[in-house]
Amino acid sequence: MSNQSSLLSLLIYLISAALFLPSLFGCTTKIAETPKQDTVLQSKTDAEKTATEAQDALTRSIYRVRDPGPFKLVTVKSLDPNSKTTDECWQARGEAGKFGGTLTVSIFGRDPKTYNYWDHQDAESAGLGLLMFDRLVEIDPWTGKMNPRMAKSVTVEKDKKTFTVKLRRGLKWSDGHALNADDVEFTFATIIKRGFGNSSMRDTLTVYGQFPEVKKIDDLTIQFVTPRPFAPFVSMLTNAPIAPKHVLEPITKRPMEEFHAFWSINCDPKTLVVSGPFKVGRYVPGQRIELERNANYSMVDKNGARLPYLSKFVIAVVPDQNTQILKFYGKELDFLDIRTVRGFDAALMKQRESTGDFTMFNLGPNDGTQFLMFNMNRRKDPKTNKYYVKPIKQEWFNDRNFRLAVSHAISRKRLVDNILRGVGLPLYTAESPASLYFNKALKPYPQDLNYSRALLQKSGFVLKDDVLYDRNGNRVEFSLTTNAGNSGRDATCIMIVNDLKQLGMKVYYQPIDFNIMIDKTAHSCDWEAVMMALTGDKVEPYNGANIWKADGRLHMFDQRLPDKNGTVRAPDARDWEKEIEECFNKAGTTFDEKLRHRYFDRYQEIVYEQQPLIYLYCLLDISAANNRIGNYRPTPLGITYTPRGSFHNIEEIYIKKAVQN
Amino acid sequence: MTAADHTPATPGLWKTAIMKLWRDKVARLALLVLMFFYFSAAFADMLTPYSMHFNDADLANAPPTVVHFKDRKGNSCRPYIHSVERSFDPATFKQTYSERKDKQYPIKFLCHGETYKLLGLIPMDLHLFGVDAPARLFLIGSDINGRDNYSRLFFGAQKSLTIGFLGLFIAFPIGIIYGGISGFAGGRIDDVMMRIAEAIISIPSFYLLIGLAAILPPEMSSSERFALITVILSFIGWATLARIIRGMVLAIKEEEFVQAAFAVGMPRFETIVKHVLPQTSSFVIVSATLQVPSFILSESGLSFIGLGIQQPDASWGNMLKAALDNVNDLLNQPWLIAPGILIFLTILCFNSVGDVLRDVLDPKMQGIS
Amino acid sequence: MSPAVYIFKRFLQAIPLLLIISVLIFTLLKLSPVDPLAHLKANPSISQAAIKAEEERLGLNKPAPVQYGIWLRNLMQGDLGISTSGSSVSTLLVNRAGNTLLLSLLTLFFTWLIAVPAGVYAAVHRGKWVDKFFGLVTAVGMSMPTFLLALLLLMLALATGALPIGGLTSPDFFEKNVFQQILDVAHHLIIPVAVLTFVNLAHIQRQMRANLLDVYRAEYVRTARAKGLPENVVIYRHALRNAINPLITMMGFEFSYLLSGAALTETVLAYPGLGRLTLEAVLTKDINLVMASLMLGSVMLIAGNLLADVLLKFADPRITLE
Repeated sequence: MSNQSSLLSLLIYLISAALFLPSLFGCTTKIAETPKQDTVLQSKTDAEKTATEAQDALTRSIYRVRDPGPFKLVTVKSLDPNSKTTDECWQARGEAGKFGGTLTVSIFGRDPKTYNYWDHQDAESAGLGLLMFDRLVEIDPWTGKMNPRMAKSVTVEKDKKTFTVKLRRGLKWSDGHALNADDVEFTFATIIKRGFGNSSMRDTLTVYGQFPEVKKIDDLTIQFVTPRPFAPFVSMLTNAPIAPKHVLEPITKRPMEEFHAFWSINCDPKTLVVSGPFKVGRYVPGQRIELERNANYSMVDKNGARLPYLSKFVIAVVPDQNTQILKFYGKELDFLDIRTVRGFDAALMKQRESTGDFTMFNLGPNDGTQFLMFNMNRRKDPKTNKYYVKPIKQEWFNDRNFRLAVSHAISRKRLVDNILRGVGLPLYTAESPASLYFNKALKPYPQDLNYSRALLQKSGFVLKDDVLYDRNGNRVEFSLTTNAGNSGRDATCIMIVNDLKQLGMKVYYQPIDFNIMIDKTAHSCDWEAVMMALTGDKVEPYNGANIWKADGRLHMFDQRLPDKNGTVRAPDARDWEKEIEECFNKAGTTFDEKLRHRYFDRYQEIVYEQQPLIYLYCLLDISAANNRIGNYRPTPLGITYTPRGSFHNIEEIYIKKAVQN
Repeated sequence: MTAADHTPATPGLWKTAIMKLWRDKVARLALLVLMFFYFSAAFADMLTPYSMHFNDADLANAPPTVVHFKDRKGNSCRPYIHSVERSFDPATFKQTYSERKDKQYPIKFLCHGETYKLLGLIPMDLHLFGVDAPARLFLIGSDINGRDNYSRLFFGAQKSLTIGFLGLFIAFPIGIIYGGISGFAGGRIDDVMMRIAEAIISIPSFYLLIGLAAILPPEMSSSERFALITVILSFIGWATLARIIRGMVLAIKEEEFVQAAFAVGMPRFETIVKHVLPQTSSFVIVSATLQVPSFILSESGLSFIGLGIQQPDASWGNMLKAALDNVNDLLNQPWLIAPGILIFLTILCFNSVGDVLRDVLDPKMQGIS
Repeated sequence: MSPAVYIFKRFLQAIPLLLIISVLIFTLLKLSPVDPLAHLKANPSISQAAIKAEEERLGLNKPAPVQYGIWLRNLMQGDLGISTSGSSVSTLLVNRAGNTLLLSLLTLFFTWLIAVPAGVYAAVHRGKWVDKFFGLVTAVGMSMPTFLLALLLLMLALATGALPIGGLTSPDFFEKNVFQQILDVAHHLIIPVAVLTFVNLAHIQRQMRANLLDVYRAEYVRTARAKGLPENVVIYRHALRNAINPLITMMGFEFSYLLSGAALTETVLAYPGLGRLTLEAVLTKDINLVMASLMLGSVMLIAGNLLADVLLKFADPRITLE
């Protein structure tokens, strides 16, 4: 009885299995043969021409506003009622605005982790810190030169090694304490030099292995002496806001771990002491950060009144860009900064510009670069005594013709059109077109499969039945990785796979976890081809030294690992690697702008010729501001970490219909 | 559930069960829909104009192709389409897709297209319908890589629909045997085994799922990943079943015929397999029918957040991800919801069949949900 | 056995359970080649020394069993550790768990408010179009994936502009008075609660209807009718009280569904809850946070079951707590 019933149930399931099992076969197919390339509507050159026209049009439509000229230093009545002297303040260059009002912006992703800028590990905390703490100098948003900010002047002495920084008179912290050279000396000689918190600041200021000397001359004067002439030194000062000695000094006398915990995001904001235009008033975890006006800020407007105009600056924490945009439409947010508006968002938003009472600003190409790279490592892992990369593949990846062929086989136009919906630019060089040192002489090139095939032939590769073999008869196949969960990267890699299939290469695409990918590229060197992105710098290419120096921490395409003692050496550096390093060293030590341009041009040229990183595209920075925001004049160079973002002049931003509160 | 509640399944009962199932209008409709889905999945290559990986990179993100039924004079004719080209306006940031009205491309039925292997065995190139290149018949638009969404829905069905059954084939035997042994053994062994099962049940299932999915090793081909995800899904499913089977076995153990088997001297293991477990069969059948949609849903959920089936493979879950990416534009691109609707319909059908099956097999089995 | 003793006994039973769970979870997380510091390493301006310092701080270079032991010891002391983001895990959890709890409780409340009367009504008017209507609605509810429904409601919100998109409070929350604040939160909760309620009430409504139908046929109901009692009294005083028992047990499982189903809903709707936090923590391999939130989820689940059992005892004195 029961036997029959179980038999029957088995039968039922077998029948259902017969129905769906065939569908299983579909699941296990690998990537099928690509259909032959169809004839396209327009000729290739026509399509590429329209593409360049669109790119030029995009570049032309970058928002440009006239350079208002340098800041003026004015004297104002002192904050201290008992003082007999006046304060020296910079005068904002915009129009006079109204006091009061709240500006609401947002950041997406994660909350900032700390108010302690000198301990920041993430971009959000850095951006928040830049609203609260001023720096000695800042990049001029129009010219890209260094403007003194907290300083009154920065002079380079004749020996090119001594920098004299004079502070303005009357600077005060938000708690009334005087801000003077003691704080500057403390910041550099104690916090940064001894490596409290984020020791990268120390690295950027270290010149040829030595930290500069910091000397206090008098209450308002400080001198820095570098061991050798170092041209980017002043721009490195923008990485280090000044810390309040009277608050942080006690902490530096305690073990270093306590510095991490000091002023963490969950502390009482009332204990904060700031020098910038705003100070955190309230933090609601996962929701928002509310900043209040710092009445002791040392900038004034055209009428001599102390800035900032805004009473409150609210940063809403939102999980992703989509929600930000929706809240912006719903007037919950006044402003969307760069990185929020992506390619496909731009068109939709543009349509709603007039009815939505806001304006969009095209701030040109982003400083970041997206690229494809091959693992050119030729060494063995000392722990296993096996090659990091199979010798067969080493030969391909180290063959310049191979890399050039790959670079010419990729259609960057289609990448921009599909992934960025046209709102972006193809990229061929190590510096984004936004950089002041962008090498304009390096010409873009369209997809040219015939050229790629010719290059491969030159190196002995053979194409047989749509399959590519190297000169030893090995089939050309490798794995391509990027971080999972990113639809744009997914799509980019799939397009690369399809493009390279036209050359007969078999590419296995495997998205993996971001953490694992970083581990592979930075430590285990266990990868073949990777597609990723890095941030850049529009003003100082030297900030990318970590990537291009042969022993650099981010020299990923041929990562040298520290030996037992922790030192990194590159005895097998290629000639062109050495030349790039020379360019960086020379550009770092000369103050002659023309020479710096020459050296940075040359390094970009070498990268263009050798293609260790095959650049793909860069995004556009687009912001959107509600029309009630006054004095918003963004520039391509005046962009930093959000939430400060494109508000280089946050102190003079005001709300046009503000109510006094 | 006591022993008295339980009706042992007889072959007579089975026959009437299947007949009753078919007679119920709702269940019949649901079964037909499901059979249609599975049939489409099995013969996806033939039923769709394009393969899973086919792409026209110049026509990515395209809206559904307009099918014309009237010719230029206004008379009705064979359906045709135009080729579409994409242009970009830098001033408005907008990409527009416009038809080139110069040439008409009729929709061909039973035409030749890309080659494939029917059921993995027979090489063929026949497609139910299609158009000549360079026109593209994107019935519900193309995705970010220029692949046909309509075709990928069929190929996505292959993954999403089969994973339910596969998970079942792994989870159920484990659950039944585990529960059977535990219930039969009783005492200490039963205690320990149930503790472990309880522990697994006590972790919120979705969190456990994403935890497991997140530790999958990176170097895996798509089929390996598919298999591993199936295993993970089963890992969630077996524990609940084991507990209930154990309860039923405990009850059945006391019944007369089992005691009789022991008295006669039948070995214990044989007793479990031959006499006790089949008594649970009706419960198992219904439970299975209701568990399949839960597996399908879990896989969709996983792929939806990017931890399940990965690109370039298609699954309904990861196609729905595109809807999440474009959530602001959903009103203009409502076709992005299509994979979600299909998931919903599949689950609805399975649930309907399961409901009726439960009523039919054992009306007292109301305790299953 | 008094409820207090029972609760205590169950609490003791739960401890080995929780231990097994924690070992399970920890093993899972350790099985992958994890690097929680990957985000740091990808930043060009952060030095090797800074990264090493982070490693020390998180204790990542100690062997796994030692890490587990450290975590367990800290747990006893109430220190749940620091997430890789820097903030303390307990603060993060308390925050987010509170929001999820709010969502779950509201969902439970509305689910029961709608489902129980609906189930009763459907049972009483069995076979009529009302019953069929509810049957259809619940069929849809049981089959609808939460993330799909959330997406659909989002589309509706976009189209009508009447509902806020995501989040829990508006940016100007603290400027409002208490009454407005409550309204603000309620406004934001409409979509998440609607999604979860719709999906959950299907189970409850059907169960209620089935139980009531079962009870309807029972002897004591016939006896009550034979005694001449009005139908209302028969249903509400006698039948319902018995029918509702299994439902109370289901409440325990409700919690599990809510916690699980909520995770995807929270992600789609950007709701700052425990589900989304856990998802993000898993994706970034934030070990301390994942372990703590999985443990918290399990604790809530076990607590829910316990609560259901105790409630059952109060509802039906015949059932012994054994």
